[in-house]
Amino acid sequence: MIPLEQFLAALHGRGVDFVIIGGVAAQAHGSARVTQDLDICYSRTRDNIARLVRALTPFAPYLRGASRGLPFQWSAATVQAGLNFTLTTTIGDLDLLGEVTGGGGFAQLAQHSVEVEAFGFETRIISLPWLIHVKRAAGRPKDLEVIAELEALEEEIRRAKR
Amino acid sequence: MDNGTGPRLLREARHRAAQSQRELAQAASTAQSVVGRIEAGLTSPTLATLEALVSAAGFELQTVLVPKRRADPVITLYKRDVDRTLLRENLRRTVEERWRMHAALHAQGVALQRAMKKARARKTP
Repeated sequence: MIPLEQFLAALHGRGVDFVIIGGVAAQAHGSARVTQDLDICYSRTRDNIARLVRALTPFAPYLRGASRGLPFQWSAATVQAGLNFTLTTTIGDLDLLGEVTGGGGFAQLAQHSVEVEAFGFETRIISLPWLIHVKRAAGRPKDLEVIAELEALEEEIRRAKR
Repeated sequence: MDNGTGPRLLREARHRAAQSQRELAQAASTAQSVVGRIEAGLTSPTLATLEALVSAAGFELQTVLVPKRRADPVITLYKRDVDRTLLRENLRRTVEERWRMHAALHAQGVALQRAMKKARARKTP
């Protein structure tokens, strides 16, 4: 898995606007499931894309699973022209999402996020109810077990508050 | 809105605005005890009160409608097998501790995979 401390330092260091979603967000909420890659939803503003590209350049992002030598160039123009990218980097696998099925883009996700403190940074992660909503909206059979755990987690959090 | 959402939103708005409870209360022309009681979950604020307090911290409170969750029989079945003891253990940890624990587990998994690969290579004549 991508070393979060190093990755968060890079993104926060450049002031990138992003929300952590997917398995790593689930872990932050208390999930016991292991995940291999990090999913983030990033703001698609021109300035933010420029910051994102600068932050990740030291980690040489490349299309995951693609053969070497493709005319892929990690640049603001590439990110601007695309939307969602599944990438491999020198420190681990990373999915960059401009939009999430059922969850919208950064602006909408940011409204459904919570700030958590870790490694000396305040980082936005998708809220647990919205993560469940997004997983349900995606409608993928492989997510059903994940949703079950997240809903159980929600119940446990409620139980602990009583 | 559940009972924890109002306090959490108010606390987050105040922290992001780098305000003390007193400073926020002054900006909202109210008493510090009002802010303190809401954040502590001792008082349930009306939506209008929460909007006013969040606004005094420089934010806008937006409410959205989300589809009601329908019971899914498959999810309900899976839920029976979730090991809740692990979840309860995790909930006692901080977010950073949870992430560090998962990173350590992942590293162990990778090390095991490498060891298995080496062992298989040794067995191959």
